[in-house]
Amino acid sequence: MSRLRMLLAATALLPVGWACLAEGPDFAREVRPILSNRCFKCHGPDEDHQEAGLRLDVSEAAHAELDSGTRAIVPGHPDDSELIARITSTDPDLVMPPPHTKVKLTEDEKRILAAWVAAGAEYRPHWAFVKPERPGMPEAENDGWARNGIDRFVRARLHEEGLTPSPEADRATLCRRVHLDLVGLPPTPAELAAFLADEAPDAYERLVDRLLASPRYGERWARRWLDLARYADTNGYEKDRQRSIWPYRDWVIGALNHDMPFDEFTIRQIAGDLLSSATVDDIIATGVHRNTMINEEGGIDPLEFRYLAMVDRVGTTGAAWLGLTTACAQCHTHKFDPLTHTDYFALMALLDNADEPEWTIPSEDRDRRVNDIRRRIEEAWAKLPSTWAGTPERFAEWNAEESRLAVDWTVTKPTSVTSSLPHLVVRDDGSVLAGGDVAKSTVYEVVLPPATTETRAIRLEVLPDESLPAHGPGMVWYEGDKGDFFLSELEVTASDRRIAVAKGTESYAGNPSSSRGASSAANTIDGDMSSGWGIDGQQGRPSAAVFVLAEPVPAGTPLTLTLRSERHYACPIGCFRASVSSRGDAEARGHTAAEEAALVKPADSRSAAERDLVQRRFLASASELAEPVKEIRKLEDSLRDGTTTLVLRERPADSRRVTHRRHRGEFTQPKEEVRPAAPAFLPPLPADAPSDRLALAKWLVSPENPLTARVTVNRHWQAFFGRGIVKTLEDFGYQSDPPSHPDLLDWLAVTFMHDFDWSQKKLHRLIVTSTTYRQASTVATDLAARDPGNVLLARGPRVRLEAEVIRDSMLAAAGLLSTKMGGPGVRPPQPEGVTEVAYGSPKWNVSKGEDRHRRSIYTFQKRTAPFAMATTFDGPTGEACLVRRDVSNSPLQALTLLNDPMFVEVARALGAAAMQAGSDDATRLEDLGRRLLSRGFDADETAALAAYLAAQRQRLAAGELDAVKLTGEAGPDAAERAAWMLVARAAMNLDEAIVKR
Amino acid sequence: MNPLLDLTRRHFFRDCGIGVGKMALAGLLAESLGRPATAATLPVGLLAPKPPHSAGRAKAVIQLFMAGAPSQLELFDHKPKLAAIEGIPIPPEVIGGQRYAFIRPDAAVLGPQYRFAQHGQSGAELSEMLPHLAGVVDDIAIVKSCRTDQFNHAPAQIFMNCGFAQPGRPSIGSWVTYGLGSESRDLPAFVVMSTGSGISGGSACWSSGFLPSVYTGTRFRNAGAPILNVDSPDGADGRLAADTLDVVSAINRRRLAIDGDPEIATRIASYEMAHRLQTSAPELMNLADESPETLALYGCTPEEASFARACLIARRLVERGVRFVTIYHEGWDGHSDVAGNVKKNCESTDRASAALVADLKRRGMLDSTLVVWGGEFGRTPMVEASAVLGRSKGRDHHPNAFTMWLAGGGIRGGVTYGETDELGFHIARDEVHVHDLQATILHCLGLDHERLTYRYQGRDFRLTDVHGHVVRGILA
Repeated sequence: MSRLRMLLAATALLPVGWACLAEGPDFAREVRPILSNRCFKCHGPDEDHQEAGLRLDVSEAAHAELDSGTRAIVPGHPDDSELIARITSTDPDLVMPPPHTKVKLTEDEKRILAAWVAAGAEYRPHWAFVKPERPGMPEAENDGWARNGIDRFVRARLHEEGLTPSPEADRATLCRRVHLDLVGLPPTPAELAAFLADEAPDAYERLVDRLLASPRYGERWARRWLDLARYADTNGYEKDRQRSIWPYRDWVIGALNHDMPFDEFTIRQIAGDLLSSATVDDIIATGVHRNTMINEEGGIDPLEFRYLAMVDRVGTTGAAWLGLTTACAQCHTHKFDPLTHTDYFALMALLDNADEPEWTIPSEDRDRRVNDIRRRIEEAWAKLPSTWAGTPERFAEWNAEESRLAVDWTVTKPTSVTSSLPHLVVRDDGSVLAGGDVAKSTVYEVVLPPATTETRAIRLEVLPDESLPAHGPGMVWYEGDKGDFFLSELEVTASDRRIAVAKGTESYAGNPSSSRGASSAANTIDGDMSSGWGIDGQQGRPSAAVFVLAEPVPAGTPLTLTLRSERHYACPIGCFRASVSSRGDAEARGHTAAEEAALVKPADSRSAAERDLVQRRFLASASELAEPVKEIRKLEDSLRDGTTTLVLRERPADSRRVTHRRHRGEFTQPKEEVRPAAPAFLPPLPADAPSDRLALAKWLVSPENPLTARVTVNRHWQAFFGRGIVKTLEDFGYQSDPPSHPDLLDWLAVTFMHDFDWSQKKLHRLIVTSTTYRQASTVATDLAARDPGNVLLARGPRVRLEAEVIRDSMLAAAGLLSTKMGGPGVRPPQPEGVTEVAYGSPKWNVSKGEDRHRRSIYTFQKRTAPFAMATTFDGPTGEACLVRRDVSNSPLQALTLLNDPMFVEVARALGAAAMQAGSDDATRLEDLGRRLLSRGFDADETAALAAYLAAQRQRLAAGELDAVKLTGEAGPDAAERAAWMLVARAAMNLDEAIVKR
Repeated sequence: MNPLLDLTRRHFFRDCGIGVGKMALAGLLAESLGRPATAATLPVGLLAPKPPHSAGRAKAVIQLFMAGAPSQLELFDHKPKLAAIEGIPIPPEVIGGQRYAFIRPDAAVLGPQYRFAQHGQSGAELSEMLPHLAGVVDDIAIVKSCRTDQFNHAPAQIFMNCGFAQPGRPSIGSWVTYGLGSESRDLPAFVVMSTGSGISGGSACWSSGFLPSVYTGTRFRNAGAPILNVDSPDGADGRLAADTLDVVSAINRRRLAIDGDPEIATRIASYEMAHRLQTSAPELMNLADESPETLALYGCTPEEASFARACLIARRLVERGVRFVTIYHEGWDGHSDVAGNVKKNCESTDRASAALVADLKRRGMLDSTLVVWGGEFGRTPMVEASAVLGRSKGRDHHPNAFTMWLAGGGIRGGVTYGETDELGFHIARDEVHVHDLQATILHCLGLDHERLTYRYQGRDFRLTDVHGHVVRGILA
């Protein structure tokens, strides 16, 4: 008997022969995982790795004749199938998988493959890539156990497995569980008492509705979304500077509180700016993909890190919406899933065509403030003469001198502009505005129209614009000073001949950061690229440099200006305008273009407005008014203030970003252009709309998309039960864990999309009102052995709480929790030295007042040194999309709850609160239990705690423990407060205090 | 009298005892409850010791991470040619497409700033800045042909630690503790110290990534108690800590008996270890039992946070069964005055690095402890000078070639491995990529870098991705 026959004979499936096999192993559940895990790496979708020309992931290829003339699979004939011969071979040169791969098939796996070939080797599409249909509902058992559809599916499976569900949890436990799940906080003793006293049959459902309507709901659920969105308040990498993107965090909280349907929630985040009626909120929502990290290290290539941010965007979109692991396809066609290398970049192309500004959020409030500042500026100007009005003589003298020097500049409008990188647009007033990507080295070539007179001087104005970082005039946004630029060299060419520049002067010269000494316009004509001119300190206002040519350029000759900007960070000019003059004595006098134009005119032919302009310029230049003018400048600077947030902005049509496939995923190896498209194995994008972010957004939540709804309901399921129906929340591909309840998953997905119109609150209500959810979580001994992971749901969930819920619950129990919503991140107390390890050893300046005790979602999140307590309890760093948090159980957690200064503070407040509950120990302990565990301690627990209390009282009285140090304050009742603080601290450290049960 | 006090602790433990069967179910409790005389001195659960793939010489690793990137050209890789052509740019065909952080590729060459000499029986060449290392040169393997993919600090440090330049993957210390567990019940398995101004790569350098978070490195602080929150609150004492542990554990045990969730048993065990940490951490940090001679060997002043003290503590950690220790010394980023930079950093690291090797050796620990010294990349043969940045006679980041050394734990001493070209620009022989270094470190511990995998997002991840070869030439 051949090895194969022995193998097959060993399976009960196969009595005799092959042909009589009506039904082989289940392809999706049993066969594909083997092929995918053991074979696809070399015989899968990746064209570069189809060894021997064999591809096993699609039937046509697997059944086809191979290079060798054999066939891997001959359906119904394992004896003739090379696949089976190879996996059962004992010859090390023939056996598959080859020994060097260190991958081995188990005997069971070989049997399954052989039986599958014998049964006809039928391929079926992967379940998750087929649109979910509403499955038939299992019959309910007639004991009334099932309350809704969830229960019917769960019960049917339990029945199959011969298991019985657990009884309903007691009401206090249930009240605590649903509070923790829906609002992330335990019930207050009063809320608990009210619920326990409510004997109406729908008391629980009404409780659920109250919780769903609470603003605390959005705070709880936004945190989970922010894990996916990799939200943080700093930029990451070495410098890890602070960023302002909390408006996005607040947008998420608001959207969830308003139960924004998940399809809209998706569309606004991916492409809110592209909606025809985009609101301010819709633009803020695009922050989801601005949560990528920014490397501000000196010397980096900003485009490389932008590319890495794009990789992160594709990965996050894949994991959070599609349950697809895209990372493999960045470098090569996915070895397991049908995602090709080109698919990957087509997906990237859909997201790629955006600029990434820091956006000042418009609001009525801001408009009012701006108008107010403008009014104050006008008033300040009007008031100047009352301080010092000047004298007619002084003015005449000043005016004569400045008029004499003022140049009658001819403003030019370039006939052509080219740029090595930022996109340049020539505007009607002759100014040139840059936008889009920047690099460390930039060259602009600006061709000016032929002048009517000879040219001896050139003025380069650098102008502010709201679209630029800090309103410009430069494009510096990292490492250097925001809104600055660095002009390294300026070159003038006429008729293909370099024209020497004799002199450069500037209206203002800044000291660029990390520089020694001032910059100057003269530095831009010295032939040294490492010196140059910048304007740090004058952001938001115009400056100018004037260059005098060494020889005149004859009239009628087009001039070309070459502007080179190069530093260890990107530093091009953002907005500029060139003017020419025939005057060889031109110099920068600090006037704006309008002021200089007015000064050129004789005083008596100036208009009223021009006279006013000149008068102000005169006053501003008077040393007597230096102080008040400085105040005016400060007011002007404050015009730029406002809340900013990071958003996406679609690029103009004439500067579409071209996305390239990158060989091996490497930034330095761009290959052919890839057009935006959906992955080929999924439904296509709508044909009648542009293939852009908006198309992607709508495609993600299209009812035709087989993944998004399933992935979403599965993630929510995991939040309640501790485990997804598909365990691998982030991966629904071939390598994913098969669903424990496939029909339930599809039913939930279809119900969520079509019956609930993507309402998250309706989904949550469905889950928490199910009998399945309401079961007691006690782990019976037999069940612990049978189903330790509670996959089958014969009991309710029992899971350790998330970091934020632990902290918030403790603060709430102690009555300390602030309910203030929104705003910039706060810095609650944490042990010294947590942030010292980050670059530059930044200080953690603890917030004051109620900001010490805000909900944890508002805690300032520093990527390179996250809040210690959150890290200890498995909180995210915000460095990458986190679909599933770990749930660890470590000694550092014990130390945190016992000794972290913040929890010591909580213990003091909690002890004091319990003392307020009554004068006797029993009442106080009862109150403590209710605050912390949502139940009174039972007799035994009470006994243990009372004994502990008595022992500590004794030691405090004996002076062995220092009450004043423990409680942080002296007073007649310090010892008693200390005793209660210690009892509270002990109770906070009970396992039950940090679990949902 | 308060009636509650009638119920004593004794009553609680006697009458509210836990069903023995349920305890057995939890398994983990054997240690935390029974406290048998044969004391389980090893950790349980995810950190329980695990056998390696094959017998490895090293049981522990001490990584001396020279953050900022030391100049190999001033320390190990002697290039007289650079002195000969100082001031002349390197030919473009040598530079190729290499990108730089600060300098232009046509920058001129800068000659070595220090003298070199041969040392030990092996005759290895070291600069005059490493007099102490010269004393142990026959115990170390110098690898002159290291190469990385990254030329900026944060990505390169993360790459050196995690085999991937973006944050989010497990660090080597996490991989090792995942692969081998811990030998210490009383201290964290993976400890991170830092003695400078902050680490560019941040906490990503000791992150457990997608591995269970118990494998995350535990950072020791320089001031106060080393481990966060290991000190009880002001006004408390040891007995209070014991009393509190007792009452918490008693109630948790009872909850375990009722709820039956084995996680409660783990929680109880965690509290017991936390309690032990409160004793073992001060004991660890108390250097009073080190001889004056040892303190002098390291150049360590016990009360002063320094690289020397960190090295001594690292030895004490390894003695106590800690698996992986990383010490970051920042400050090697010599963009200007590279000579001064090297001098200053050698003054604070050379003596202690050499002392660590010598001390481990005389205690018989070197054979089972792998010491790895090096930065995240090297420095350019070309000078960095910039008037506007106020820089002169510095060197920029150079990923193409740099030097590291390894000692002990299965490494052959007295070896100099790999060569660079005459300009120190490219590797001329025996390239050792970061993934090769990682594979070699794992190999010394008996771990096969191709088999040390973790399934995440549908695929088996490795520290070395799909790369890495063990550098056989430096193995004992």
